[in-house]
Amino acid sequence: MKEKLVEFANLLRDNGVRVSLAETLDAFSASEITGLSERDSFRCALRATMVKRASELPVFEELFDIYFSGLGEIIKQASKAVQDALSMSDQEFQKFLDEVEKMLKKEGKNLSELAKQLLKNNSGMMEKRISDAARAVRLKGIERTIEENYFARALARELGLDKIEAEIKELREQLEKMDLGDAMKARMEEYLERRLKALEDIIRRYVRMEREKKDIRQRENQRMNQIAEKSFYYLSEEELKKMQEAVQKLAARLKNVISVRRKHAKKGRFDIKLTLRKNLGCGGVPFNLRFERRKKEKPQVVILCDVSDSVRNASRFMLQFVYSLQDLYSRVRSFIFVSEIGEVTEHFRNNDIKDALDVALKGDIINVYAHSNFGYAFRSFVSDHIGAINKRTTVIVLGDARNNYNLPHDWCLREIRQRAKRVIWLNPESRNTWGFGDSEMDKYQLHCDMVEECRNLNQLYRVVDRLVVH
Amino acid sequence: MFASIDDVIQRFERNNYIASRRIATVIYLASSLLKPILVEGPAGVGKTDLAKVLAASLQKDLIRLQCYEGLDEAKALYEWEYAKQLLYTQILKDKVSEVLTGAKGLKEAVDRIAREDEVFFSERFVLPRPLLKAINSDKQCVLLIDEIDKSDAEFEAFLLELLSDFQISVPELGTIKAKHLPLVILTSNNAREMSDALKRRCLHLYIDFPTREQELAIVKLKVPGAADKLSQEVVTVVQSLRKLDLKKTPGISETLDWVKALTLLNVQSLDQELVNETLDTIVKYEGDVRKAQEELKDYVRRVRNRRGGEAAGSSDKDLLN
Repeated sequence: MKEKLVEFANLLRDNGVRVSLAETLDAFSASEITGLSERDSFRCALRATMVKRASELPVFEELFDIYFSGLGEIIKQASKAVQDALSMSDQEFQKFLDEVEKMLKKEGKNLSELAKQLLKNNSGMMEKRISDAARAVRLKGIERTIEENYFARALARELGLDKIEAEIKELREQLEKMDLGDAMKARMEEYLERRLKALEDIIRRYVRMEREKKDIRQRENQRMNQIAEKSFYYLSEEELKKMQEAVQKLAARLKNVISVRRKHAKKGRFDIKLTLRKNLGCGGVPFNLRFERRKKEKPQVVILCDVSDSVRNASRFMLQFVYSLQDLYSRVRSFIFVSEIGEVTEHFRNNDIKDALDVALKGDIINVYAHSNFGYAFRSFVSDHIGAINKRTTVIVLGDARNNYNLPHDWCLREIRQRAKRVIWLNPESRNTWGFGDSEMDKYQLHCDMVEECRNLNQLYRVVDRLVVH
Repeated sequence: MFASIDDVIQRFERNNYIASRRIATVIYLASSLLKPILVEGPAGVGKTDLAKVLAASLQKDLIRLQCYEGLDEAKALYEWEYAKQLLYTQILKDKVSEVLTGAKGLKEAVDRIAREDEVFFSERFVLPRPLLKAINSDKQCVLLIDEIDKSDAEFEAFLLELLSDFQISVPELGTIKAKHLPLVILTSNNAREMSDALKRRCLHLYIDFPTREQELAIVKLKVPGAADKLSQEVVTVVQSLRKLDLKKTPGISETLDWVKALTLLNVQSLDQELVNETLDTIVKYEGDVRKAQEELKDYVRRVRNRRGGEAAGSSDKDLLN
């Protein structure tokens, strides 16, 4: 059992559930208390000790079903199927099995052990036999669907299925000579046949189950990694959805980090006035020291997001990030531009994320079908919205700086930078292409405090990390 | 202590709490392993009640610590009673000067005082707060640390020693070990995520909204006077509201409030007007109310149609007497 639990813990870890060693130990002592016989209690015990996040519960449930459905469950199901096929009630079946056992005592002297267990419906012994055999053929090494047949055959060979088949055939022939009633004989014959089928079925399903375990181990992990490295330009619809989840997670992480940081900075210098006042009750003896509360510096962010056609996938995604940011900080103002510039702060605040993005990208606020013109956008920003920026503001520009050979007006960006705390430019294009063609990145980057290539999720992660630290 | 998982379910039921097998198993495990439970879940599903009922069903004292931002050791663990100490020094001035008589020089005086300072930092002057009370209690008790997510990260770190070893270090008194390990329940609304270190030390229990049947059973248990039909309708409505994207999803406590309110008004079954008038007992935001009304309009119409089919011609105004 210990091994099984350790393996299950590994499986959970492979699927992104963090299970520590101590938790595995807890799971072990908990499962000792609940016992293994009751599947539900056992499941509860593992759930309470190994899974500590509500978001990880579905993963756990899925894996538990696959992992602990196990051989025992398969064998039980198979024998239930036999019982159903013979259309007997539980009691009848039990009586019938007694009958079988009697017959075996008389006639089955030259039967092999496994065949006996099979016919006697001794699932515990069968489970042990089959799992021994599975170990012998290294069933745990199965990886691909096409290997299923190979392993099923190997397992059958190891169990001696041919021999069992022959033995049961022989037994059926002997049945003729036995002094059983006709009805009983017919039943017995059907039972033997079905049992044999059941064993084959068990083997096949067991092999498939093992393969599924492997599958689940690798599936999710790989997918997420691939997406994280894939450029925003090439994401499919489904991947975009996955990405949204990732962005939300990212935002949540940002929130956690920020809240911790704020609290650390809460206590300030010793406050004499407050201390004296607080300790008047003790005759002015300063028992209870008081400190100034440091003012929280609320981060102010102004975001300028390019939503032109050339960065469509990226900008959808960036806007989502912007939306999440606006959720986090109270003082975020968001602007979008192609050639005109327009503010979307209110839209983002009042709508849920899907509507907000649609509004931004459909062209209700600015004409999104124009040719992008960064210079014009910056100039309009400086003339209309420069008041949004003060010395505590961080300005984030998201865009590829493809200016269609219009005037870059980089002096506007310089102006912005002079007033702001800092200017950060995130460019969804590869660094190699900056400055070529109509890209004005080399001009603009002179006026930024930080310029980052931000083409995929991993890069965005890095940028966020840096944003939080500084 | 509990004898088995079924024992937990039965005893809880006697205390008016319907525990699913899931909850009961975790409670049973916690009581046998003496591990703390971290209960998470949306507001109003009975997290805090769980601790109260646990205490009641084991006939133990409940010690409650409500967490909030800025909660520190002094308020959670212990505090020196400065005023009392000060008062004592004032009253005992004569004794102090007696101790000091004949002291040569400042140094000796300080030494003599130092010999006596244990008097002032003894348990006599400690004001125990919930955590110390739980540790020092002569009988085993149930300690509820409510809404731990509202507390600061520092406080959470401080709790770690308590939760793993059930001991507390007081610098002046040394380490105090628990005489009886308390049963600890921590609740969290997930305002922020708890640290892995804390989670590792706890059993985790996620209580979600109940199924229709469970909720009906709860309503029956808690509001025995409610009409069957009414409670069924209310539960159906609330369950359908939970599927909407609301700012604050109604919990069990809201369902109970609503049923109680409607029972008080002597209502036998829901109708549109009534729903609109009393909706604010379950939905607490303006935007949510609007969404809920949309959803309920549909629902009431459907019910009415069904009823109309059953008894054509019968009026719908049998609702308010």
